[in-house]
Amino acid sequence: MTELVEFSLGALVLLPLLAAAVVMLIGHTARRVLGVVTAVVTAGFTVPVVATVADGDAPELVLGGFTAPLGITLRGDGLAAVFLAGTALIAVVLTVFAALVPAATGEHLTPSGWRPGHPGFWPLWLGCWAGLNGVYVSGDLFNLYVGLELVGLTAVALVALGGRKSWDPALRYLFIAVLGSLLFLTGVGLLAAVTGTLDIAQARAVLEEVEDPTAGLLALSLMTVGLGMKIALVPMHRWLVPAHSAAPAVVSPILSGLVIKAGLVILLRVWLWAVPLVAEAIWLAWLLGALGAIAVLVGSVLALRQDRLKPLVAYSTIAQIGYWFLAFPLLVTEHDDAGAAPGAYSAIVALAVGHMVAKGGLFAAAGYLKLRFGTDEIARLRGAGAQYPALILAMGACAVGLIGLPVSLGFAGKWQLATAAVGAQQWWVVVVIAAGTLLAAGYLLRGIAPLLLQAPQESDHQLPDTGDETAPAAAGSKTRAEGAGELLILLLGVATIGTGFLGSWIYDLLGVGLW
Amino acid sequence: MISPVDLALGAAVLLVAGLSLVPRSRLVVTMGFLALGVLVTMVWLRLDSLDVALAEAGIGTGLLSGLMVWLAVRSPEPPGAGGMEPSPRLPWLRPAVGVVCGAVLTVVTAAVWLRVEDRLPAWGGPVEEQLPDTGVEHGITGVLLAFRAYDTLLESAILMLTAAAVMALSSTNLHQAAAPMPPVPLALPWATRLLVPALVLLGLWLLFAGSRDSGGAFQSGAVLAAALILMRTSHIDLRGLSTYLLRPALVVGVVVFILAGLVGPMLGLPWLSWDPDWAFAAVLTVEVLLTTGIAAGLYMLFLTLENPEGVR
Repeated sequence: MTELVEFSLGALVLLPLLAAAVVMLIGHTARRVLGVVTAVVTAGFTVPVVATVADGDAPELVLGGFTAPLGITLRGDGLAAVFLAGTALIAVVLTVFAALVPAATGEHLTPSGWRPGHPGFWPLWLGCWAGLNGVYVSGDLFNLYVGLELVGLTAVALVALGGRKSWDPALRYLFIAVLGSLLFLTGVGLLAAVTGTLDIAQARAVLEEVEDPTAGLLALSLMTVGLGMKIALVPMHRWLVPAHSAAPAVVSPILSGLVIKAGLVILLRVWLWAVPLVAEAIWLAWLLGALGAIAVLVGSVLALRQDRLKPLVAYSTIAQIGYWFLAFPLLVTEHDDAGAAPGAYSAIVALAVGHMVAKGGLFAAAGYLKLRFGTDEIARLRGAGAQYPALILAMGACAVGLIGLPVSLGFAGKWQLATAAVGAQQWWVVVVIAAGTLLAAGYLLRGIAPLLLQAPQESDHQLPDTGDETAPAAAGSKTRAEGAGELLILLLGVATIGTGFLGSWIYDLLGVGLW
Repeated sequence: MISPVDLALGAAVLLVAGLSLVPRSRLVVTMGFLALGVLVTMVWLRLDSLDVALAEAGIGTGLLSGLMVWLAVRSPEPPGAGGMEPSPRLPWLRPAVGVVCGAVLTVVTAAVWLRVEDRLPAWGGPVEEQLPDTGVEHGITGVLLAFRAYDTLLESAILMLTAAAVMALSSTNLHQAAAPMPPVPLALPWATRLLVPALVLLGLWLLFAGSRDSGGAFQSGAVLAAALILMRTSHIDLRGLSTYLLRPALVVGVVVFILAGLVGPMLGLPWLSWDPDWAFAAVLTVEVLLTTGIAAGLYMLFLTLENPEGVR
């Protein structure tokens, strides 16, 4: 069993990577088959790791048999297990969706012009998944950086699959991603210089004995700013909306659901594991909390003002990112208030995983609608629900998770966050949560409700002339594969509700292998 | 001891760094960058870091300058040249922000520099102890291909996927490889024919010297990619190579690296474990194939400069 778990820890990264390399050599149809097979097997390797963690063990893999500080150690602790499991779910669903609906992977240029579907999606996406898993299980600071680069670079390239319009947002994303990585790398270099090791656990042990916290604090600040750029914390969020809305239908959920979570996991690793929280870092935590509050409010208000579905969902991501940072001040008040930190930590993870599932579903639905109707203007999608009942049901379920209604991880997370805030007597956090929840209900209703309304009649002609007034015109009839694709999106909607029952299980998992 | 040479070198680096940032013309900036690369390489040599110097010369300066020269020749003026102009309403704002940022950076860096105590890397001893098990004799190669082979593997994968991104941005079948190149002076093809054999030899030497001395897959790959770029710029027909060989060459390094890493679990060892008996063979095979992949990947980065929608 131990051997299987150790093998799985490595295979979670190396199997998708191997597939990413091989897939570049084979034909387009074979790519889809190999992609799905890889996804299923990789998700299978998640099981032994998560099962071991659920038993209370944190498995380790010493790569090459060289122990730290010389070699690299992979660790599967509670944080890794939760994100591995969530990622496996989303990744399998989205991989099968991309295989069924190739048009969702972007459009590629042929000598005769742009054609739907992009075979380049497969190596990039499998590489991205390898990077995500690599970040989750990494126990080494420099290796975290390499994983972050792997995720960031493939994510940028995935955006660029969306055709000519997506190249500008992709380039902008590239600049931000590289700058963020470099800031993180500077922090890593600083920590390595002060501690003489790159292993996270060993670095922490050394830092705890160093009296002067300056270096640790500077490294922490640099890494936080760098990762804040990659996670798109307000005010470093401007790249996210164009990139996530210009990306192809199946890429947007990957970016919003998974890629920014890699930054969050690294941020938690740095704050909670690598650098022992020093009293001097409290101002930074409060700054992050304030920015988080602004993100929740501003992101939600901007989402309310969008006329198109994908930017609306993208602004909603910015608002949801805010919640994770809202919990940071509660993480550091550990010293005077023992109760708040575990609750706040668990709240961040629950909110992030809840967002992973719900946003994956909602963005996939929005992208699919855009693909079918050639537009994502909310006004022109009016009445689309009649043709896509499963899709609308999925969007509704995802909205439950994003608003934070019971039963969903969004609710569990907000509940834990509010409890921690009340425990620490930080009432303003509760106010922000309440306001954010109301605003989320508003913008999601504004985005989804028009799809349910009856299509405009012949008489009311507020719409631009589309020729067919009874319903928005879908491009061609649905194939069976596309119908199956809709059911997959519905699966994500169901999962949004279903994972809501796992709140306490996640809380227990997170207790394994704490700093 | 700080010698006058070091001081002069430091001053020259600052001067040339300014030269590669301030001018408006892309050609001047590129030339400044080239000179900067040469100076930085010399700085690394003065610091006795031959490996870093080689990497800096090969990738940092050599290839990056190649890309920048190409860009400067194709479009000498930065697009929408307004990017560097002061904003009309608050002309002092940008310089002021720059000065403040620079001051803050300097103060913070200096403060940390003066207050923080450096520690020697804790891996110094273990490297010496365990190097004999890896089959290589040069410490840096040992770190790259044995102790931290996992990082190297992921980095090669990054380069491979960057090339995958290039292919994704190109039209079917890497059409950029066949796009016409701008005319060049007659001397260049002539010089290329002389230089390429020497470059190939240098690349192979860097590769095989890596197990005992400085050098290795990345430096060697950079030199080989430079040879390819030179040939392409000199209108030498590489279409056969680009169509049939480039893709397999690109992925073979990563594939074989992972498969070699899989041998460990097959024998009941952890991932990426290499038994001392055949470690040298494994390391050498992986390194040779990685070089192929790196050369192919870097050459593809050069190809991506061609706009897939055709020349504007």
